[in-house]
Amino acid sequence: MGINYGQLVRGDRIHASLLHDPEAFADEMERIFVNGWVFVGHESEIKEHGDWVTRQLGTESVIMVRESDDSVKVLANRCSHRGTALCWEQRGNNSFFQCTYHNWRFGLDGSVRAIPFPDGYDTPKEDLGLDAAKRLETHRGFVFVNLDGSAGPLADHLGAAGYELIDRLCDLSPTGEIDLSKGWIAHRVQSNWKLWPESDSDGYHVGFVHASMSETTDTYYDEVAVGGDAVRRSRAVDYGNGHIELDWRPSYQRQLAWLGITRDKVESYCEALTERDGTESAEQMLWDGPPHAFLFPNLFLGELVIAIVEPVGPGEMIHRHTSVQFEGVSEDFNRRLLRQTEAAVGPASFITSDDAITAERIQAGISGTQRSWADQDRGWIDLSRGLHREQIDETGARSSDASDETTNRGFWHRYLEIMTEQV
Amino acid sequence: MTSLQLKAEVEDFLYREARLADEFQLDEWEALLTDDFHYWVPAGRLEGDPSEQLAYLNDNRARVATRIRQLKTGKRLSQLPFSPMRRMISNIEVVDQGDDTISVKANFVIYEIAAQSTGELRIWPGQAQYRLRRVDGSLRMSSKWVELVTAELGQRNLTFLI
Ligand code: FES
Ligand SMILES: [Fe+2]
Repeated sequence: MGINYGQLVRGDRIHASLLHDPEAFADEMERIFVNGWVFVGHESEIKEHGDWVTRQLGTESVIMVRESDDSVKVLANRCSHRGTALCWEQRGNNSFFQCTYHNWRFGLDGSVRAIPFPDGYDTPKEDLGLDAAKRLETHRGFVFVNLDGSAGPLADHLGAAGYELIDRLCDLSPTGEIDLSKGWIAHRVQSNWKLWPESDSDGYHVGFVHASMSETTDTYYDEVAVGGDAVRRSRAVDYGNGHIELDWRPSYQRQLAWLGITRDKVESYCEALTERDGTESAEQMLWDGPPHAFLFPNLFLGELVIAIVEPVGPGEMIHRHTSVQFEGVSEDFNRRLLRQTEAAVGPASFITSDDAITAERIQAGISGTQRSWADQDRGWIDLSRGLHREQIDETGARSSDASDETTNRGFWHRYLEIMTEQV
Repeated sequence: MTSLQLKAEVEDFLYREARLADEFQLDEWEALLTDDFHYWVPAGRLEGDPSEQLAYLNDNRARVATRIRQLKTGKRLSQLPFSPMRRMISNIEVVDQGDDTISVKANFVIYEIAAQSTGELRIWPGQAQYRLRRVDGSLRMSSKWVELVTAELGQRNLTFLI
Protein backbone atom coordinates (compact mmCIF):
# COMPACT_ATOMS: atom_id res chain seq x y z
CA MET A 1 0.00 0.00 0.00
CA GLY A 2 1.65 3.18 -1.14
CA ILE A 3 1.16 6.71 0.06
CA ASN A 4 -2.11 8.37 -0.85
CA TYR A 5 -0.67 11.63 -2.14
CA GLY A 6 -4.06 13.04 -3.06
CA GLN A 7 -4.97 13.01 0.58
CA LEU A 8 -1.75 14.77 1.66
CA VAL A 9 -1.43 17.49 -0.98
CA ARG A 10 -4.45 19.78 -1.17
CA GLY A 11 -4.95 23.01 -3.05
CA ASP A 12 -4.44 25.16 0.03
CA ARG A 13 -2.21 23.02 2.28
CA ILE A 14 0.13 20.08 2.34
CA HIS A 15 0.81 17.52 5.01
CA ALA A 16 4.10 18.02 6.86
CA SER A 17 4.84 14.30 6.93
CA LEU A 18 5.80 14.59 3.25
CA LEU A 19 8.84 16.57 4.35
CA HIS A 20 10.45 13.73 6.27
CA ASP A 21 8.76 10.45 5.33
CA PRO A 22 11.36 7.98 3.95
CA GLU A 23 8.75 6.27 1.80
CA ALA A 24 7.76 9.57 0.18
CA PHE A 25 11.45 10.29 -0.37
CA ALA A 26 11.95 6.97 -2.14
CA ASP A 27 8.90 7.61 -4.33
CA GLU A 28 10.21 11.08 -5.23
CA MET A 29 13.64 9.80 -6.22
CA GLU A 30 11.99 7.40 -8.64
CA ARG A 31 9.04 9.36 -10.00
CA ILE A 32 10.58 12.84 -10.06
CA PHE A 33 14.31 12.24 -10.53
CA VAL A 34 14.33 9.07 -12.63
CA ASN A 35 11.03 9.18 -14.53
CA GLY A 36 11.05 12.95 -15.15
CA TRP A 37 13.24 15.70 -16.57
CA VAL A 38 15.95 17.08 -14.31
CA PHE A 39 18.69 19.66 -14.73
CA VAL A 40 22.24 18.26 -14.77
CA GLY A 41 24.67 21.04 -15.57
CA HIS A 42 25.85 23.47 -18.19
CA GLU A 43 27.85 22.77 -21.34
CA SER A 44 30.39 25.45 -20.41
CA GLU A 45 31.53 23.18 -17.57
CA ILE A 46 32.86 20.63 -20.05
CA LYS A 47 34.42 22.60 -22.89
CA GLU A 48 37.08 20.15 -24.10
CA HIS A 49 36.72 16.60 -25.32
CA GLY A 50 36.99 14.28 -22.34
CA ASP A 51 36.05 16.96 -19.80
CA TRP A 52 33.67 15.56 -17.23
CA VAL A 53 31.91 16.55 -14.03
CA THR A 54 30.10 14.35 -11.56
CA ARG A 55 26.66 15.28 -10.36
CA GLN A 56 24.00 13.88 -8.13
CA LEU A 57 20.50 13.46 -9.59
CA GLY A 58 18.44 12.52 -6.61
CA THR A 59 20.15 9.43 -5.30
CA GLU A 60 21.80 8.62 -8.63
CA SER A 61 25.40 9.68 -9.20
CA VAL A 62 26.12 10.58 -12.82
CA ILE A 63 28.99 11.75 -14.99
CA MET A 64 28.33 14.51 -17.51
CA VAL A 65 31.00 14.25 -20.19
CA ARG A 66 32.01 15.92 -23.46
CA GLU A 67 32.51 13.25 -26.06
CA SER A 68 35.03 13.27 -28.87
CA ASP A 69 32.28 14.11 -31.38
CA ASP A 70 31.44 17.22 -29.27
CA SER A 71 28.17 15.85 -27.98
CA VAL A 72 27.30 15.72 -24.29
CA LYS A 73 26.53 12.45 -22.58
CA VAL A 74 25.24 11.73 -19.09
CA LEU A 75 26.36 8.34 -17.77
CA ALA A 76 25.71 6.49 -14.54
CA ASN A 77 28.77 6.79 -12.32
CA ARG A 78 28.66 3.06 -11.76
CA CYS A 79 30.65 0.31 -13.38
CA SER A 80 28.36 -1.97 -15.33
CA HIS A 81 30.31 -4.97 -14.08
CA ARG A 82 29.87 -4.94 -10.31
CA GLY A 83 28.86 -1.38 -9.54
CA THR A 84 32.08 0.38 -8.50
CA ALA A 85 31.93 4.17 -8.80
CA LEU A 86 34.11 5.27 -11.72
CA CYS A 87 34.79 8.88 -10.75
CA TRP A 88 35.06 10.23 -7.23
CA GLU A 89 36.34 13.70 -7.90
CA GLN A 90 34.12 16.56 -8.92
CA ARG A 91 35.69 17.07 -12.32
CA GLY A 92 38.43 15.90 -14.57
CA ASN A 93 39.51 15.10 -18.10
CA ASN A 94 39.99 11.58 -19.43
CA SER A 95 40.00 9.86 -22.77
CA PHE A 96 38.24 6.87 -21.19
CA PHE A 97 36.91 5.76 -17.83
CA GLN A 98 38.58 2.83 -16.16
CA CYS A 99 37.12 0.94 -13.25
CA THR A 100 39.61 0.22 -10.48
CA TYR A 101 38.11 -3.12 -9.45
CA HIS A 102 38.66 -5.40 -12.48
CA ASN A 103 39.92 -2.72 -14.88
CA TRP A 104 37.02 -2.66 -17.30
CA ARG A 105 37.53 0.28 -19.60
CA PHE A 106 34.72 2.42 -21.03
CA GLY A 107 34.70 4.99 -23.80
CA LEU A 108 33.42 8.51 -23.19
CA ASP A 109 30.13 7.36 -24.67
CA GLY A 110 29.81 4.66 -22.02
CA SER A 111 30.49 1.69 -24.31
CA VAL A 112 32.86 -1.05 -23.19
CA ARG A 113 36.31 -0.65 -24.73
CA ALA A 114 38.28 -3.36 -23.02
CA ILE A 115 37.72 -6.17 -20.56
CA PRO A 116 40.65 -8.08 -19.04
CA PHE A 117 40.59 -11.78 -19.97
CA PRO A 118 37.58 -11.32 -22.26
CA ASP A 119 37.28 -15.01 -23.05
CA GLY A 120 35.33 -15.35 -19.79
CA TYR A 121 32.35 -13.65 -21.42
CA ASP A 122 29.76 -14.91 -23.85
CA THR A 123 27.71 -11.74 -23.61
CA PRO A 124 28.16 -9.37 -26.56
CA LYS A 125 30.22 -6.34 -25.55
CA GLU A 126 27.43 -3.99 -26.68
CA ASP A 127 25.29 -5.23 -23.82
CA LEU A 128 27.89 -4.42 -21.19
CA GLY A 129 28.13 -0.63 -21.45
CA LEU A 130 27.35 1.91 -18.75
CA ASP A 131 23.80 2.98 -18.06
CA ALA A 132 23.25 6.29 -19.83
CA ALA A 133 20.47 8.85 -19.53
CA LYS A 134 17.92 7.72 -22.10
CA ARG A 135 16.95 11.24 -23.08
CA LEU A 136 19.12 14.32 -23.09
CA GLU A 137 18.23 17.78 -24.39
CA THR A 138 19.91 21.13 -24.01
CA HIS A 139 18.79 24.72 -24.19
CA ARG A 140 21.32 27.59 -24.26
CA GLY A 141 23.87 25.21 -22.79
CA PHE A 142 21.61 24.03 -19.94
CA VAL A 143 21.67 20.22 -19.97
CA PHE A 144 18.56 18.34 -18.95
CA VAL A 145 18.08 14.59 -18.83
CA ASN A 146 15.35 12.09 -18.29
CA LEU A 147 17.18 9.06 -16.95
CA ASP A 148 14.72 6.31 -17.87
CA GLY A 149 13.43 7.80 -21.12
CA SER A 150 9.79 7.59 -20.07
CA ALA A 151 9.09 11.34 -20.12
CA GLY A 152 7.95 13.18 -23.24
CA PRO A 153 10.07 15.80 -24.98
CA LEU A 154 11.77 18.48 -22.87
CA ALA A 155 9.48 21.07 -24.43
CA ASP A 156 6.48 19.45 -22.78
CA HIS A 157 8.19 19.75 -19.42
CA LEU A 158 9.71 23.23 -19.69
CA GLY A 159 6.87 24.79 -21.62
CA ALA A 160 7.20 28.20 -23.23
CA ALA A 161 7.77 29.78 -19.81
CA GLY A 162 10.71 27.55 -18.93
CA TYR A 163 12.49 28.45 -22.16
CA GLU A 164 11.67 32.13 -21.76
CA LEU A 165 13.15 32.22 -18.25
CA ILE A 166 16.42 30.68 -19.42
CA ASP A 167 16.47 33.01 -22.44
CA ARG A 168 15.85 36.05 -20.28
CA LEU A 169 18.98 35.23 -18.30
CA CYS A 170 21.22 34.35 -21.25
CA ASP A 171 20.12 37.34 -23.32
CA LEU A 172 21.71 39.60 -20.72
CA SER A 173 25.09 38.35 -21.84
CA PRO A 174 26.36 40.44 -24.76
CA THR A 175 27.09 37.30 -26.79
CA GLY A 176 24.01 35.50 -25.55
CA GLU A 177 26.31 32.93 -23.94
CA ILE A 178 26.81 32.42 -20.25
CA ASP A 179 29.58 30.46 -18.60
CA LEU A 180 29.09 28.35 -15.48
CA SER A 181 32.60 27.01 -15.09
CA LYS A 182 33.74 28.82 -11.94
CA GLY A 183 32.94 25.74 -9.87
CA TRP A 184 30.02 24.85 -7.67
CA ILE A 185 29.81 25.41 -3.95
CA ALA A 186 27.89 22.96 -1.82
CA HIS A 187 25.84 24.20 1.10
CA ARG A 188 24.87 21.22 3.25
CA VAL A 189 21.58 21.66 4.98
CA GLN A 190 19.70 19.40 7.38
CA SER A 191 16.36 19.76 5.68
CA ASN A 192 14.20 18.06 3.13
CA TRP A 193 15.01 19.09 -0.43
CA LYS A 194 11.47 20.32 -1.10
CA LEU A 195 11.87 23.18 1.34
CA TRP A 196 14.30 24.82 -1.13
CA PRO A 197 12.14 25.24 -4.21
CA GLU A 198 9.74 26.82 -1.76
CA SER A 199 12.28 28.98 0.05
CA ASP A 200 14.03 30.12 -3.12
CA SER A 201 10.72 31.35 -4.49
CA ASP A 202 9.01 32.56 -1.33
CA GLY A 203 8.43 36.29 -1.36
CA TYR A 204 6.77 36.42 2.05
CA HIS A 205 9.81 35.87 4.26
CA VAL A 206 12.34 38.27 2.79
CA GLY A 207 11.69 41.19 5.11
CA PHE A 208 11.81 38.93 8.16
CA VAL A 209 14.43 36.22 7.62
CA HIS A 210 16.69 38.71 5.85
CA ALA A 211 16.08 41.73 8.06
CA SER A 212 19.68 41.62 9.30
CA MET A 213 20.87 41.96 5.73
CA SER A 214 18.56 44.84 4.84
CA GLU A 215 19.64 46.68 7.95
CA THR A 216 23.33 46.41 7.23
CA THR A 217 23.68 46.93 3.50
CA ASP A 218 21.99 48.64 0.63
CA THR A 219 20.43 45.89 -1.36
CA TYR A 220 17.99 45.90 -4.23
CA TYR A 221 15.91 43.37 -2.32
CA ASP A 222 14.71 46.34 -0.30
CA GLU A 223 12.98 47.72 -3.36
CA VAL A 224 11.65 44.47 -4.79
CA ALA A 225 10.82 42.25 -1.85
CA VAL A 226 10.77 44.02 1.50
CA GLY A 227 7.85 45.97 2.83
CA GLY A 228 4.25 46.34 1.75
CA ASP A 229 4.71 48.30 -1.45
CA ALA A 230 7.36 46.03 -2.90
CA VAL A 231 5.49 42.83 -2.23
CA ARG A 232 2.42 44.30 -3.86
CA ARG A 233 4.24 45.42 -7.01
CA SER A 234 6.38 42.32 -7.53
CA ARG A 235 4.55 39.17 -8.55
CA ALA A 236 4.56 35.55 -7.47
CA VAL A 237 3.95 33.56 -10.64
CA ASP A 238 3.05 29.93 -11.29
CA TYR A 239 3.59 29.05 -14.97
CA GLY A 240 2.41 25.48 -14.59
CA ASN A 241 4.47 22.26 -14.53
CA GLY A 242 5.98 23.44 -11.25
CA HIS A 243 7.93 26.31 -12.84
CA ILE A 244 7.59 29.40 -10.69
CA GLU A 245 8.96 32.92 -10.51
CA LEU A 246 9.18 35.85 -8.18
CA ASP A 247 8.89 38.52 -10.82
CA TRP A 248 10.75 41.56 -9.54
CA ARG A 249 10.43 43.50 -12.80
CA PRO A 250 7.53 45.74 -11.80
CA SER A 251 9.45 46.89 -8.70
CA TYR A 252 12.83 48.02 -9.95
CA GLN A 253 13.22 51.75 -9.47
CA ARG A 254 16.15 52.09 -11.81
CA GLN A 255 18.01 50.29 -14.54
CA LEU A 256 20.71 47.81 -13.49
CA ALA A 257 19.44 47.74 -9.90
CA TRP A 258 19.87 43.95 -10.13
CA LEU A 259 23.58 44.46 -10.72
CA GLY A 260 23.89 46.84 -7.80
CA ILE A 261 25.67 49.32 -10.01
CA THR A 262 24.99 52.46 -11.98
CA ARG A 263 25.07 52.70 -15.71
CA ASP A 264 28.16 54.84 -16.07
CA LYS A 265 30.23 52.01 -14.55
CA VAL A 266 29.24 49.53 -17.26
CA GLU A 267 28.69 51.74 -20.27
CA SER A 268 30.36 49.36 -22.72
CA TYR A 269 28.17 46.51 -21.52
CA CYS A 270 25.03 48.58 -22.14
CA GLU A 271 26.31 49.55 -25.58
CA ALA A 272 26.96 45.93 -26.46
CA LEU A 273 23.35 45.02 -25.69
CA THR A 274 22.10 47.99 -27.68
CA GLU A 275 24.24 47.09 -30.63
CA ARG A 276 22.91 43.56 -30.59
CA ASP A 277 19.21 44.11 -29.96
CA GLY A 278 18.51 47.76 -30.65
CA THR A 279 17.87 50.53 -28.16
CA GLU A 280 14.35 49.69 -27.16
CA SER A 281 14.85 46.08 -26.15
CA ALA A 282 18.28 46.74 -24.64
CA GLU A 283 16.87 49.52 -22.48
CA GLN A 284 14.12 47.19 -21.33
CA MET A 285 16.58 44.41 -20.49
CA LEU A 286 18.57 46.82 -18.35
CA TRP A 287 15.41 47.46 -16.37
CA ASP A 288 14.24 43.86 -16.17
CA GLY A 289 17.40 42.00 -15.27
CA PRO A 290 17.60 38.24 -14.86
CA PRO A 291 14.72 36.13 -13.55
CA HIS A 292 14.36 34.87 -10.01
CA ALA A 293 12.74 31.57 -10.84
CA PHE A 294 12.66 27.89 -10.04
CA LEU A 295 12.39 25.24 -12.74
CA PHE A 296 10.93 22.03 -11.42
CA PRO A 297 12.33 19.98 -9.82
CA ASN A 298 15.92 21.07 -9.13
CA LEU A 299 17.08 24.21 -10.96
CA PHE A 300 17.10 27.63 -9.34
CA LEU A 301 17.70 30.60 -11.62
CA GLY A 302 18.59 32.96 -8.80
CA GLU A 303 19.20 36.07 -10.84
CA LEU A 304 22.97 35.92 -11.41
CA VAL A 305 23.41 32.74 -9.39
CA ILE A 306 22.46 29.27 -10.55
CA ALA A 307 21.69 26.65 -7.93
CA ILE A 308 20.88 22.96 -7.98
CA VAL A 309 18.74 21.39 -5.31
CA GLU A 310 20.21 17.98 -4.46
CA PRO A 311 18.23 15.63 -2.26
CA VAL A 312 20.45 13.48 -0.04
CA GLY A 313 17.94 11.87 2.29
CA PRO A 314 14.55 12.73 3.78
CA GLY A 315 16.14 15.27 6.12
CA GLU A 316 19.36 16.13 4.34
CA MET A 317 20.09 18.07 1.16
CA ILE A 318 22.68 20.13 -0.65
CA HIS A 319 22.03 23.54 -2.17
CA ARG A 320 24.78 23.73 -4.78
CA HIS A 321 25.44 27.01 -6.50
CA THR A 322 27.68 28.76 -8.95
CA SER A 323 28.03 32.25 -10.31
CA VAL A 324 26.82 33.21 -13.76
CA GLN A 325 29.66 34.62 -15.86
CA PHE A 326 28.90 36.49 -19.06
CA GLU A 327 30.79 36.11 -22.31
CA GLY A 328 31.87 39.37 -23.93
CA VAL A 329 32.21 41.53 -20.82
CA SER A 330 35.24 42.85 -18.98
CA GLU A 331 37.10 40.86 -16.35
CA ASP A 332 35.94 43.35 -13.76
CA PHE A 333 32.34 42.79 -14.70
CA ASN A 334 32.59 39.04 -14.14
CA ARG A 335 34.54 39.53 -10.93
CA ARG A 336 31.72 41.69 -9.69
CA LEU A 337 29.36 38.79 -10.37
CA LEU A 338 31.59 36.47 -8.34
CA ARG A 339 31.66 38.86 -5.39
CA GLN A 340 27.91 39.41 -5.65
CA THR A 341 27.38 35.64 -5.57
CA GLU A 342 29.60 35.21 -2.52
CA ALA A 343 27.64 37.87 -0.69
CA ALA A 344 24.25 36.41 -1.51
CA VAL A 345 24.47 32.64 -1.60
CA GLY A 346 26.20 29.87 0.31
CA PRO A 347 27.26 28.79 3.79
CA ALA A 348 29.03 32.04 4.65
CA SER A 349 26.77 34.39 2.69
CA PHE A 350 24.66 37.23 3.99
CA ILE A 351 21.41 35.79 2.65
CA THR A 352 20.91 32.08 2.06
CA SER A 353 22.70 31.04 5.26
CA ASP A 354 19.66 32.45 7.01
CA ASP A 355 17.36 30.52 4.67
CA ALA A 356 19.32 27.37 5.59
CA ILE A 357 18.72 27.92 9.28
CA THR A 358 15.06 28.52 8.56
CA ALA A 359 14.84 25.26 6.59
CA GLU A 360 16.55 23.41 9.46
CA ARG A 361 14.09 24.93 11.91
CA ILE A 362 11.18 23.81 9.75
CA GLN A 363 12.68 20.34 9.62
CA ALA A 364 12.94 20.33 13.41
CA GLY A 365 9.36 21.52 13.65
CA ILE A 366 7.85 18.90 11.37
CA SER A 367 9.99 15.86 12.08
CA GLY A 368 7.49 14.27 14.44
CA THR A 369 4.44 14.54 12.21
CA GLN A 370 2.82 11.31 11.06
CA ARG A 371 1.05 10.57 7.83
CA SER A 372 -1.84 9.11 9.79
CA TRP A 373 -2.50 12.49 11.37
CA ALA A 374 -3.81 13.89 8.11
CA ASP A 375 -7.39 12.89 8.82
CA GLN A 376 -7.13 13.96 12.45
CA ASP A 377 -6.54 17.53 11.31
CA ARG A 378 -2.99 17.52 12.69
CA GLY A 379 0.35 18.31 11.09
CA TRP A 380 -0.82 20.40 8.13
CA ILE A 381 1.20 23.16 6.54
CA ASP A 382 -0.89 26.07 5.37
CA LEU A 383 -0.28 27.36 1.85
CA SER A 384 -3.48 29.36 1.34
CA ARG A 385 -2.03 32.86 1.33
CA GLY A 386 -3.43 34.92 -1.54
CA LEU A 387 -5.63 32.18 -2.99
CA HIS A 388 -8.53 34.63 -3.21
CA ARG A 389 -6.66 37.22 -5.24
CA GLU A 390 -4.81 35.23 -7.88
CA GLN A 391 -5.09 36.30 -11.48
CA ILE A 392 -4.77 34.09 -14.52
CA ASP A 393 -3.44 35.59 -17.72
CA GLU A 394 -4.06 34.54 -21.32
CA THR A 395 -1.17 32.03 -21.25
CA GLY A 396 -2.64 30.32 -18.21
CA ALA A 397 0.02 31.70 -15.84
CA ARG A 398 -1.31 32.32 -12.38
CA SER A 399 0.01 35.27 -10.42
CA SER A 400 -0.51 37.21 -7.25
CA ASP A 401 1.24 39.58 -4.85
CA ALA A 402 4.87 38.58 -4.36
CA SER A 403 4.14 37.69 -0.74
CA ASP A 404 1.46 35.21 -1.74
CA GLU A 405 1.98 31.47 -1.80
CA THR A 406 1.15 31.10 -5.47
CA THR A 407 4.70 29.89 -6.14
CA ASN A 408 4.60 27.34 -3.31
CA ARG A 409 1.24 26.03 -4.52
CA GLY A 410 2.63 25.82 -8.05
CA PHE A 411 5.43 23.55 -6.87
CA TRP A 412 3.12 21.28 -4.92
CA HIS A 413 0.52 21.16 -7.64
CA ARG A 414 3.10 19.70 -10.02
CA TYR A 415 4.37 17.41 -7.28
CA LEU A 416 0.90 15.96 -6.83
CA GLU A 417 0.45 15.44 -10.56
CA ILE A 418 3.68 13.49 -10.79
CA MET A 419 3.23 11.48 -7.63
CA THR A 420 -0.21 10.31 -8.69
CA GLU A 421 0.48 9.78 -12.40
CA GLN A 422 -0.29 6.28 -13.59
CA VAL A 423 2.97 4.83 -14.83
CA MET B 1 63.92 40.91 18.74
CA THR B 2 64.96 37.26 18.89
CA SER B 3 63.00 34.67 16.99
CA LEU B 4 61.78 33.26 20.30
CA GLN B 5 60.44 36.64 21.34
CA LEU B 6 58.77 37.05 17.98
CA LYS B 7 57.24 33.60 18.19
CA ALA B 8 55.86 34.39 21.63
CA GLU B 9 54.36 37.65 20.41
CA VAL B 10 52.80 35.95 17.38
CA GLU B 11 51.35 33.18 19.54
CA ASP B 12 49.84 35.71 21.91
CA PHE B 13 48.25 37.45 18.98
CA LEU B 14 46.79 34.27 17.47
CA TYR B 15 45.42 33.03 20.76
CA ARG B 16 43.79 36.36 21.41
CA GLU B 17 42.34 36.51 17.88
CA ALA B 18 40.98 33.00 18.37
CA ARG B 19 39.39 33.77 21.72
CA LEU B 20 37.75 36.97 20.47
CA ALA B 21 36.29 35.07 17.50
CA ASP B 22 35.09 32.20 19.70
CA GLU B 23 33.43 34.61 22.10
CA PHE B 24 31.90 36.87 19.45
CA GLN B 25 33.71 39.89 20.83
CA LEU B 26 33.15 41.44 17.46
CA ASP B 27 34.42 44.98 17.98
CA GLU B 28 37.55 43.76 19.67
CA TRP B 29 38.13 41.27 16.85
CA GLU B 30 37.60 43.95 14.23
CA ALA B 31 40.11 46.17 16.01
CA LEU B 32 42.79 43.58 15.17
CA LEU B 33 42.39 44.20 11.44
CA THR B 34 44.37 46.55 9.25
CA ASP B 35 42.53 48.83 6.81
CA ASP B 36 43.48 46.60 3.90
CA PHE B 37 42.48 43.35 5.59
CA HIS B 38 41.55 40.43 3.34
CA TYR B 39 39.57 37.43 4.57
CA TRP B 40 39.35 34.36 2.35
CA VAL B 41 37.92 30.87 2.68
CA PRO B 42 38.14 29.14 -0.72
CA ALA B 43 36.18 26.08 -1.77
CA GLY B 44 39.51 24.34 -2.40
CA ARG B 45 43.15 24.84 -1.55
CA LEU B 46 44.79 28.19 -0.82
CA GLU B 47 46.14 28.69 -4.30
CA GLY B 48 45.54 30.80 -7.37
CA ASP B 49 44.15 34.31 -7.52
CA PRO B 50 41.29 34.73 -5.01
CA SER B 51 39.61 37.35 -7.18
CA GLU B 52 39.17 34.82 -10.00
CA GLN B 53 37.51 32.13 -7.91
CA LEU B 54 34.13 31.54 -6.37
CA ALA B 55 34.79 31.11 -2.65
CA TYR B 56 32.81 30.44 0.48
CA LEU B 57 33.97 33.79 1.73
CA ASN B 58 36.06 36.51 0.14
CA ASP B 59 35.79 39.72 2.15
CA ASN B 60 37.66 42.92 1.66
CA ARG B 61 37.77 45.31 4.62
CA ALA B 62 34.39 46.88 3.78
CA ARG B 63 32.67 43.55 3.45
CA VAL B 64 34.02 42.15 6.67
CA ALA B 65 32.70 45.30 8.34
CA THR B 66 29.29 44.50 6.88
CA ARG B 67 29.61 40.92 8.11
CA ILE B 68 30.24 42.17 11.62
CA ARG B 69 27.43 44.73 11.46
CA GLN B 70 25.07 41.98 10.34
CA LEU B 71 26.10 39.79 13.28
CA LYS B 72 25.47 42.72 15.61
CA THR B 73 21.90 43.40 14.46
CA GLY B 74 20.54 40.73 16.78
CA LYS B 75 18.51 39.53 13.78
CA ARG B 76 21.09 37.37 12.04
CA LEU B 77 19.08 34.14 12.23
CA SER B 78 21.98 31.85 11.47
CA GLN B 79 23.80 33.25 14.52
CA LEU B 80 20.82 33.65 16.80
CA PRO B 81 21.98 32.67 19.31
CA PHE B 82 25.70 32.85 18.61
CA SER B 83 27.22 29.40 18.25
CA PRO B 84 28.90 28.17 21.42
CA MET B 85 32.35 27.37 20.12
CA ARG B 86 36.01 26.91 20.99
CA ARG B 87 39.00 26.46 18.75
CA MET B 88 42.39 24.93 19.33
CA ILE B 89 45.37 26.40 17.50
CA SER B 90 48.60 24.51 17.05
CA ASN B 91 51.57 23.88 14.74
CA ILE B 92 52.27 27.61 14.65
CA GLU B 93 55.07 28.49 12.24
CA VAL B 94 56.46 31.86 11.33
CA VAL B 95 57.11 31.14 7.66
CA ASP B 96 58.36 34.51 6.52
CA GLN B 97 59.41 37.77 8.03
CA GLY B 98 59.77 40.82 5.86
CA ASP B 99 60.43 44.42 6.86
CA ASP B 100 56.96 44.97 8.12
CA THR B 101 55.03 41.78 7.41
CA ILE B 102 55.13 38.49 9.28
CA SER B 103 53.60 35.45 7.57
CA VAL B 104 52.34 32.75 9.85
CA LYS B 105 50.72 29.36 9.37
CA ALA B 106 48.81 27.48 12.02
CA ASN B 107 46.52 24.48 12.22
CA PHE B 108 43.19 24.75 13.96
CA VAL B 109 40.17 22.72 14.95
CA ILE B 110 36.93 24.45 15.82
CA TYR B 111 34.23 22.74 17.84
CA GLU B 112 30.90 24.44 17.25
CA ILE B 113 27.37 23.72 18.37
CA ALA B 114 24.64 24.58 15.84
CA ALA B 115 22.58 26.10 18.62
CA GLN B 116 20.40 27.92 16.09
CA SER B 117 18.79 24.79 14.69
CA THR B 118 19.79 21.18 15.08
CA GLY B 119 22.13 21.43 18.06
CA GLU B 120 24.65 19.12 16.43
CA LEU B 121 28.34 19.38 17.21
CA ARG B 122 30.21 20.57 14.14
CA ILE B 123 33.94 20.13 13.76
CA TRP B 124 35.95 22.40 11.48
CA PRO B 125 39.57 21.34 10.92
CA GLY B 126 41.93 23.37 8.78
CA GLN B 127 44.93 25.58 8.39
CA ALA B 128 44.95 29.36 8.68
CA GLN B 129 47.52 31.58 7.02
CA TYR B 130 47.93 35.00 8.55
CA ARG B 131 49.80 38.07 7.50
CA LEU B 132 50.57 40.26 10.44
CA ARG B 133 51.85 43.82 10.43
CA ARG B 134 53.03 46.07 13.18
CA VAL B 135 50.85 49.17 13.45
CA ASP B 136 51.70 51.73 16.14
CA GLY B 137 53.84 49.18 17.90
CA SER B 138 51.35 46.33 18.09
CA LEU B 139 50.50 43.50 15.74
CA ARG B 140 47.49 43.66 13.46
CA MET B 141 46.20 41.19 10.92
CA SER B 142 46.26 42.22 7.25
CA SER B 143 44.96 38.92 5.95
CA LYS B 144 43.52 35.68 7.19
CA TRP B 145 43.21 32.90 4.67
CA VAL B 146 41.60 29.67 5.79
CA GLU B 147 41.97 26.32 4.11
CA LEU B 148 39.40 23.87 5.39
CA VAL B 149 40.26 20.18 5.29
CA THR B 150 36.68 19.71 4.06
CA ALA B 151 36.92 22.56 1.54
CA GLU B 152 35.79 20.55 -1.45
CA LEU B 153 33.00 18.68 0.27
CA GLY B 154 30.73 21.61 0.95
CA GLN B 155 29.87 23.09 4.31
CA ARG B 156 27.12 23.62 6.77
CA ASN B 157 26.42 27.22 7.74
CA LEU B 158 29.65 29.12 8.26
CA THR B 159 28.42 32.40 9.69
CA PHE B 160 30.73 32.73 12.69
CA LEU B 161 34.22 34.21 12.39
CA ILE B 162 36.40 31.35 11.26
S1 FES C 1 33.38 -3.73 -10.87
FE1 FES C 1 34.19 -2.55 -12.44
S2 FES C 1 35.46 -3.89 -13.46
FE2 FES C 1 34.56 -5.16 -12.00
FE1 LIG D 1 15.40 33.80 1.60
